[in-house]
Parts: sequence; structure tokens; C-alpha cells
Amino acid sequence: MQLSGTHRLALSRLRVWQLLNDPQVLARATPGVKTLVRDGEDRFKAELELGLGPVRGVFAGQVEVRDKQEPSDLTLRVEGNGSVGGIRAEGKLRLEEAGQETLVHYRGTALVAGTLASFGSRLFSGVARKLAAEFFENLQREGNE
Amino acid sequence: MATKFFGTPVKRREDRRLLTGGSQYTDDLQLTGMVHAAIVRSPHAHARIRSVDVEAARSAPGVVAVFTGKDMEGVAGIPTAWLIPDSDLKTTDHPALARDRVRYVGDGVAVVLAEDRYQAEDAAQLVQVDYEILDAVADQVKAVEEGAPQVHDDAPGNRCFLFNTIQGGDLDQAFEDADDVLSFRTTNHRMIPSAIEPRGCVAQYNAASGELTLRMTSQNPHIHRLLLSIVLGVPEHKVRIVTPEIGGGFGSKIAVYADEAVMAFCAMQTGRTVKWVETRRENFQCTTHGRDHVTDVEAAYTNEGKILGLRFKTWANMGAYVSTAAPGVPTWLYGLMLSGVYDVPAVGLEVVGVFTHTTPVDACRGAGRPEATYLLERIVDLVAQRVGLDPVEIRRLNFIGKEKFPHAVAPGVIYDSGDYDAALDRLLEMVDYEAFRSEQAEAREQGRYLGIGLSTYVEICGLGPSSIVGSTGFQGGLWESSVVRVHPTGKVTVMTGANPHGQGEETTFAQVVGDVLGVDIDDVELVHGDTDLVPMGMGTYGSRATAVGGIAAFKAAQKVVEKASKIAAHQLEAREEDLEFEDGRFQVKGTDQGMSFQDVALQAYLAWNLPQGLEPGLEAQSFYDPSNFVFPFGAHACIVEVDAETGQTDIVRYVAVDDCGEVINPLIVDGQIHGGIAFGVAQALYEHAQYDESGQLLTGSMMDYAVPKPGQMPSFELDRTVTPSPVNPLGLKGIGEAGSIGSTAAVANAVADALSPFGIDHVEMPFTPQRVWQAIQQA
Repeated sequence: MQLSGTHRLALSRLRVWQLLNDPQVLARATPGVKTLVRDGEDRFKAELELGLGPVRGVFAGQVEVRDKQEPSDLTLRVEGNGSVGGIRAEGKLRLEEAGQETLVHYRGTALVAGTLASFGSRLFSGVARKLAAEFFENLQREGNE
Repeated sequence: MATKFFGTPVKRREDRRLLTGGSQYTDDLQLTGMVHAAIVRSPHAHARIRSVDVEAARSAPGVVAVFTGKDMEGVAGIPTAWLIPDSDLKTTDHPALARDRVRYVGDGVAVVLAEDRYQAEDAAQLVQVDYEILDAVADQVKAVEEGAPQVHDDAPGNRCFLFNTIQGGDLDQAFEDADDVLSFRTTNHRMIPSAIEPRGCVAQYNAASGELTLRMTSQNPHIHRLLLSIVLGVPEHKVRIVTPEIGGGFGSKIAVYADEAVMAFCAMQTGRTVKWVETRRENFQCTTHGRDHVTDVEAAYTNEGKILGLRFKTWANMGAYVSTAAPGVPTWLYGLMLSGVYDVPAVGLEVVGVFTHTTPVDACRGAGRPEATYLLERIVDLVAQRVGLDPVEIRRLNFIGKEKFPHAVAPGVIYDSGDYDAALDRLLEMVDYEAFRSEQAEAREQGRYLGIGLSTYVEICGLGPSSIVGSTGFQGGLWESSVVRVHPTGKVTVMTGANPHGQGEETTFAQVVGDVLGVDIDDVELVHGDTDLVPMGMGTYGSRATAVGGIAAFKAAQKVVEKASKIAAHQLEAREEDLEFEDGRFQVKGTDQGMSFQDVALQAYLAWNLPQGLEPGLEAQSFYDPSNFVFPFGAHACIVEVDAETGQTDIVRYVAVDDCGEVINPLIVDGQIHGGIAFGVAQALYEHAQYDESGQLLTGSMMDYAVPKPGQMPSFELDRTVTPSPVNPLGLKGIGEAGSIGSTAAVANAVADALSPFGIDHVEMPFTPQRVWQAIQQA
């Protein structure tokens, strides 16, 4: 499944970059994250709780940040497995300056497996967009503080 | 033989218990000391198993045992029983639980036994499987491309087999002589049989006696006994298969599955009785699917509309493993019917069987024949349009004439009998074809799009003569056996190996045997579904139960009458040839001397006064091996209305004239046709098993896979013609699959006809509103 979009944040590019590189912030801003623990350079262990339509579950997985080009580009790789299936996603983020603000462009692919796929796939793109919007709203709030 | 019951609409005797909750299905069984199993299944279509950690599951509440693929290393792989000759078939290893790789979503990895099902399911979630996810391929055309992910290391290029044995007539000449050639590619999409009762199994092992009993959902218990005996290494005579009530099969309860072998293994390991019943989601993921062909068609025809030659190349998706009967379906059962009801001089077929990371595919109501009919019926309509003939005219022009039977067709079988014009005549009369065409023209002027689709089909049924099926690579004979046992009171038990699961055999076999013995059908009980009670049998599929199993019962009953006649003659002090047997009474011709069948039965067991050398008792067994297949046929018409604004297709009328030879019970025949048509219409309009590009089954629930509700079906208008089969003494053919074979094509042709004002001559199935609407937009 292909996912892409753009979000505008009323924050400077450098500020957005800092937020994206702060595990504490990521843990608070990412919907469903219960824990996020550093597991090496730019690697984290995560525990997520997510629901897709009738399917809800806890996922254990890794988050990895790759191909960092400060302050504009990075790639996020998420892999998670849980009782209701698995998820594997990779997304490229590009931060573009727009005056005082920043446009965050994201583009990626996500693969879902198991119950999540057979029950939830119809809902997945909608839910993913909603989660992305929530994430950026949270990031904005984090940046305002 | 007097026919008191044969041909009459006796109400199904099995319905009373089915409708009043008096049936016992596998899931109803509650045996002492039973534990419950849950299977840990792969969520990935293709992955390497790095490790399986079962410790947490083992210590969970109520857990009795946990086994993985490693624990089952001593158990043989799941076998394939149709080994197509000259096809390079690769059956590959199919372990009951995956050891190092999983190859489709739902592939079993571990099994958890617990005191109740909830505990088993909870503990199954604690099994930690570390997967290295690998690339997968679900589409058979992509799977044979260079560089596609490989399903099995020992099947390079994902090729399961290459079959090109069916080549009849001079194809090159046909294409040379043709005025034109029609070419197109089309898909016969994947179906999920979706029996209302999922699969299940209760396994019991007695270590002291070495006896293994499996109570399970099976269309063919004796085949399951043989194959599971081989898999588990338990001698065949120590294995007993019992089938409780079966809630539908549609081909999905033929195969030997890994799951039943796993349950037997668990019972043997733990000494506990193990019960497992699929969840609906497992049924979607793990029980065999059907169809899934992509076919390139080339049809050579003359300007007059005569079809001279047909060339087919089919990519058949086999799924991740080769299921029990799977290789026979897209080869013989499909290929032998690729000239259908038409006199086509030359037919050639090449089939590539392809491994993909999907659920294995096997028989599914019609098995190969709906696929063939769909292609042929699309071909004749498309050719008709090109040469300017009406769909009726092109059919009549190409039909095999009734004077030509028995008729050897180009693909290589001999049709036993047929009268295709008669069925079509009756159909057109019922439809009032001319009137419909005027109505259609008027409707079009008002912007309403009506369409009629004809489908004239023939099917190969009554599987089958053992020597012929043997030459196709089927690993068994397809005779059927029956025992007719008359008790001292004259009551009768009939045993059949053609294990029914919704076909009404308890009624129809009683009608046949009741007539032969001259006893009331209420005095005849059919016993089936237990390998310890029924001596032998091959099961119910391929519309064979009545045309093969019914004849075995008929012949066994005749043997009983022969013996009874000897006893009666002796007791009446008459010569056998002076006796007549009518309405259950042996009578000395021209006298009032006689005795009832029941009295003879009693004498047979009292044995006080039997003819010299005659054994006591009154029962007989028959093994009936037919001399040929039987070839039911028919003509179906579907009238649809397509809403051009929304793409919605509604069925306005559905009319069918089927010919299954002589009819034992018209009510049951109608019921079988109803179900069959619903199955075929559902494929055309609603049902579509879909995988995403990573091999995830997207239609894995009743919310996503559109099994139709009764309200989505029209009221069917049915009639019959009767062309008795010369193959068997009762003139029977088969009817279980006819509806599904004829109907999909009828709907497809109707939709194409409705859309013809838009210049559309073909739309790919299923005709969902979205597809039809898009076709209209793109026209």
C-alpha cells in the first residue's frame, strides 16, 4: 500500500528536525506508542497499541531512522508484530522550508499481514491518513511548548 | 422393476433432523477427556522461520502440550493423489506444520492443546515466531516471470507442471482454413467454497490397541483413511474415519489437509482426545480455494460462424502446495470439456500449473468444467457477434447433432448421449426469446439496458471408469461400492461409500432400493460415513454419488432379490422361473401361492429350510465400476438489467433446462440445481477471492467475501429434458454441479448483451457495479 501526503507545521525546519530526532517527543507524538526505548544508534524498540476497525492489538517492533541528511531528509522504517498480525512500513520524510513554516512531505509503503490485512485492509489507508494527521498535530503541539 | 418411488418427489428424509436440530456435526461432539486445539498460523505469505518460542505458551493456564514443525519431523508430508502423467508434475514436500519456511498466509506453524478452546487460543497467541519476511507472489502470471519470488526451491520458475496432453484434431489445418481468428485473454477468478460448516476433526488414539479414530468433515472417508494412514504411519486397518453430519463441502472437504494429520499426531502423542474446529477466518485462509485461471484463447472460425479449432493456454494457480486432487482439475476435468456441446474438429490445450504464495487450490463445485463452459460460451457469443449471427443460431450451427451419439470429441472422451437442440428449444419457449428481444429493443429506447445470456453446457460426471481415471494419473479407482443388508424383519440397511453431505442420498438411494426390493422407503435406512461400517467407497464429488454409488446400491439390491428368489422358490416348492416378484411379493404365476419379501428375509435367517448349499442370511455387496463417464447437459438463460448510472446488475429472470437423464427425485434435482445456479451466479456477480501483491488474503471474512444472501437470487424457472444415459441400467447422470457449470457463463453473456449498445462485447468477472460502471465509462 502506498501512502503519501504533506503537512504544514508552523515551526521552523530546524525545530521540526530536532523534534523528529528526539525519542521522547516521538514517543509522545506517535499515536498508540506505549513505550519507545533506544536500542542503538537511531534504533528504537517500540510497543504500539493500534486498532483498525474490528481488529485491535498490541504490536512489538522496531523503529529505525536511516539516511539522515540534516536538516531536510530522513527515512523511517517500522516493523511490528502482534497477535493480530504484522506491519512493515518504510517512509521518506522531506522537510521543506516555507517562509517561517515547514512543509513535511512523506511518501512510503506499508505492508500489513494477518488478521490486520484480512479484516482491516479496507480501512487501512483511511486510518493511516488519520494517524499521520494526529502525529503532525501532536508534533506541532510539542513544538509550541 | 416396478417404479413406485423412482421419479416421485419424495420429501427429503434427512430434512426432519436437519431442520429440527437433530443433527450432530463434528463441532457438536463432546467426548470424555477431550482437549482443544488451536493452530498458530503464519500471518505472512512467505517468510523464513528463524525460531519458534513456545515456552510462554507451554506454561499458560490449561495448556496440555505445544508442538511445532520440528516435533512432527517423523510424520510424512501431505500427499497428492492425482499424479498427471507426462506433465513434469512437482508435488514438493508439504509438511503438516511448517519447519523452516511458511508459504501462504495461514500455513500452520505450531499447535497448542489446552483444556478448553479459549485457553488454547490464548496460549496460541503467546507462541513467539521469529519470521524473516520474504518477498511473495500471489498472481500466477507474475509468478512465472523471471526473477519472481520462488515458492519451492525444487520447482524452478514456480512451475508445478506443464500439461499439453489434450491435443485433438488438426489444429494447424483448422487455423489455416479459418476465415478469421478470435483472440482474447480472460480470467476465471478464484472462489472460496465457503461451506456453512467449517472443517473440523476429533482425533482419538488408543495406544493399547493402536487404533486411531478421526471423526471429521470429509466427503470421502475411505480416501482419508488410506491417505492419513500413509501420512501417520498407522496401518490402514487400524484407522477409522467417521463423518458426522456434514454441512456442505463443494469440493473443499475432499482434500487431505495438514490440520487433520496434526490432530491425529497430537492425539497419538498425548493420549488425549483432541478436538479442533476451524474458525471462519481459518476456513477462508486454509481450506482449499477453487478456479483461478488466466487463459489465452484463440478460436478459428468461418464467416458462416462454424468453429473449426480452439487453442487454449491456461495459467492455473495451484497455490503454495499441491492439494490432493488439484492437478486433475485444471487439466483433465477442464481440458476434456473444452469443446463442450459443439462439434469442434480440433482442440489444443496447454496448461501451466503455477505455485504461488496463496492458499492451495483444489476442486470447487464443478471443478474445471465451469471454467471450460465460461470460455466456450464467451467464444460462441463473441464469434456470433463478429459474423452477424444470433446467439441461438450460432449454437444450433455448431451443436453436436443428437444423431451423432455416442460421440467422440476432439479432446478425447466419448459423450454417452445428448440432445442439445431439445434443451435449447424448451429453454427458448420458456423464455419467449422473440418477445424478449422486442422488449429489449423498447427498453433500450428508454435508456434501460436489458440483456439475455445463453449458456449451453455439457459436463463430464459420474467419475468414473477406473481404467480411464487411472490413465489420467488418479491414484485410485473410481468405482463405488454398496452393501444391501436385509434384516430378519425385512427392514433394510443400505451402506454406501459415496458419502453424502447434502445431496439427499438417504432419500434417493432408499427410493432406488425400495423399488428393487418392493419395500417401503421408510423400511430402508442409508448408512454412510464410517469406514468401520461401510466396507469401501470413494466418496461424493464429481457428480458421482447417484450415477455410480446409486447404481452400486441398485445392483446390490438386485443380488439380494436373486437370492431371495431362490429361497422363495424353495419354500413355495416352485421353480424359480415360475415365480414373479412384484410389489414386494414372490408369487407363483397363475396361482394364489406366494410369500412376501419380509417372510423370505425371516426364512433366510432362520435357515430351517433353505435350498441345498445356499448360505443363510440375506445381504449382498456390489462394486460398480462404470464403463464410461456420463455427460449431463442443459441450456440456461439469464436476463439482466444493468443500471448504466451505477453499474449495478440485477437478474430479472433465470431460466434453466437441465438434462440429467432419468430423475429419481425431481424435488432433490431441483434443489441441487437451485444451489448450483446460486453458486455460479455468485461467481459472476459477487464472489471474488483477492490477494494483495504481498500475498495477504484481502477477502478473509464474510464481511469482505460476498457469499450472496437468498434475497440476491431471483426465483429460478426450471424444467428438464430427459435423455437417459446408456452407461448405466437406470439411465442416470448427475446433477450436483450442473447449476454452477451452466450459470456463470449465462450471467457473463447477459451482461455483455446488456452492454452491447455501448460497444462493449466483454467485461471481466465478477460484474461488480464498479467494474461495469468503469467499462461503460471507458467505452
